[in-house]
Amino acid sequence: MLLTLDHVTVAFGGLVAVSDVSFSVSEHEVLGLVGPNGAGKTTLFNAISGLVRPSKGKMTFCGHDLTGIPIHKRARIGIGRAFQVPQPMHELTVRENLIVAQHFGTGHSNPGKIDEILDLTRLGHKANRDAASSLALTEQKALEVGKALATNPRMLMLDEVLAGLETNGKRAFMQTLDDARQRFGVALLMVEHDIETISNTCQRVLVLNFGKLIADGSPEEVFRNPEVIRSYTGGETA
Amino acid sequence: MFDLVAQSVFSGLLAGAYYALIALGLALVFGTMRIINLAHGELVLLAGYIAYTAESRFGLDPLAALPAAIIIVALTSVIIYLLLTRIRVDREINSLILTFGIAIMLTNGILMIWSADIRSTTSGWYLDSIIIGDTLFAMNTEILFAVIGVLVVGAVWWWLSKSWYGRALRAVSSNRDAAKLMGIDPRTTEILSFAVAGLLASIAGIALYSGKVIEPSLGHSLTIKAFIITVLAGLGSVPGVLIGAVLIGVAESLTATLWSSALQGLVSMLLFLIVLLVMPSGLFGRTRRRG
Repeated sequence: MLLTLDHVTVAFGGLVAVSDVSFSVSEHEVLGLVGPNGAGKTTLFNAISGLVRPSKGKMTFCGHDLTGIPIHKRARIGIGRAFQVPQPMHELTVRENLIVAQHFGTGHSNPGKIDEILDLTRLGHKANRDAASSLALTEQKALEVGKALATNPRMLMLDEVLAGLETNGKRAFMQTLDDARQRFGVALLMVEHDIETISNTCQRVLVLNFGKLIADGSPEEVFRNPEVIRSYTGGETA
Repeated sequence: MFDLVAQSVFSGLLAGAYYALIALGLALVFGTMRIINLAHGELVLLAGYIAYTAESRFGLDPLAALPAAIIIVALTSVIIYLLLTRIRVDREINSLILTFGIAIMLTNGILMIWSADIRSTTSGWYLDSIIIGDTLFAMNTEILFAVIGVLVVGAVWWWLSKSWYGRALRAVSSNRDAAKLMGIDPRTTEILSFAVAGLLASIAGIALYSGKVIEPSLGHSLTIKAFIITVLAGLGSVPGVLIGAVLIGVAESLTATLWSSALQGLVSMLLFLIVLLVMPSGLFGRTRRRG
C-alpha cells in the first residue's frame, strides 16, 4: 500500500471537517475523490500533505507514519501536490520552478528529467520565461503539475486542477496526466467536480459528504449508489 | 570648476558603493521576507565597534576584525530572526515594533560596553589619500570599500539568483506553502538569510569604522539610509541597491560641492520622493502579481 488512512478525523475547534475516514491508495492507482462543496475534500488533502494536522487517526505513506513528518519532508518521501489555484514561485523562471522543486524535493539534480517534464507539460518553449507574467492559465496549471512531478512523487494529489478549463483544455490536460502516470509511474489521487472526467479516468472513486466517507468503489457502482445521488441532489430523490 | 564637479562625482560614486554595503543586508531581508529589520543599523554599528576593539585593544588592522565581527553580528542577526518567529500574527507590522525595541537595546548595550565617546580608526593607511589621474583624490579606505562594495553586491546577486539556497529563499518569498510542499524548509532558508544579512552588516560596519567616525547613537541613521536605498532600488532588486546607493551618493556629493553640505540630506530625500512619485515600485522593483 502507498497511502493508508486509518480513522482520520480533522476538526477545527468544534467543526468536524473530516470525520473518521479510512481508505488506502495502492501503487499506480488512479483514484478520484468527489463530494459536494464543503464535504471536506480539500481538508483531507491538506491533512495528507501536512498543511493541517488531524485530531485523530493515523496516516502512513510507504511505511512512514506521517504524524511527525513536517510538510517539507513529506515531499521527499514521495507525496506531490498540485493546487486548484496554481501556486508558481513568481520570482523564478519556469525551469527554475522545476529545478528548485527537484533539488529540494529529491535531494539531487537531474536535468534530463526536467527536460522530460518540460516536454510532457508542453512548457519547453517558455522554460526560461518568468513564471509570474508569461503563462496562460492552462500553462500555469501544467507548471503546477510539473513542479509536483519534479519532486519525484510516488503519489500525486491533484486538487481540482481541471477547474476553469474548457472541454478541449480538460481533455488535453487529462492526456498530460495520463502520460505522466505512465512515464513516471505515479499514483493519482484527484479531487474533481466533473463527474464525467472522474468516470472516464478513475479506476476507483471515493465520495465524501459532510466529512464522512459514504462510498468507495468503481465509478459505475459509486454513481449508482442512492446515498451518493442524494448527497449531490440535496436530499431530493433522483 | 570642471575639476571640482568631476571630483565631486567621483567621491559620490565611492560613497555610493559604501552606502550599498550599508543597505544590502536590510535589502536582502526586506526583499525576501518583507521584514524591515529596524535594528540593521545597530548591527552595522556593532561590527564597527568590534573593529574598534580589535584595533585599540589588540593592535589589529580593522579588516582583521572581520571574522570575529561576522560571528558575533551574524549570531545576533539570527537571534533577531528567532525572536521574530515568535510573532504569530501580522508578522510584517509587528516585526517593526520588535526590531525597533531590539535596536534600542543594542544601542544601549553598545553605550554600556564602549561608552558614548566618538571613535575612529588610528590606522594611518586607511585615511591616507591617493591621487588618480592627477586630479581625483580619494582616501584608501574609500577606494578599498568601494571595490569591496561592488564585489559584495555581485556576490549577493549571484547567491540569490543562482545558488540553491538563494533560489529556495526566493521560492519561500513567492509562496511559502508551495515551497514547503516542494521540500523546502522555510526556517532553514530564512535563518541562513538572516546570517548572510549579519555578514553583510559586518563588512559594512568595518567600512564605517575605517572611513568615518562611530558613536552609539549612529544606528538609526544608518537604518534610515539603508531603508531609503532599499525602497529607491525597488524591493528584491540587488543591482538596484548599488544603483540607488550611487544615485544618493552622487546627489549628496554634488549638493555639498555646488550648494551647501547642510542641504545634503534634504536633496537625497527629495530625490527619493521624486523617484517614488514617478516610479512607485522603485527603480527596479517589479510590480508584484498575486494569485
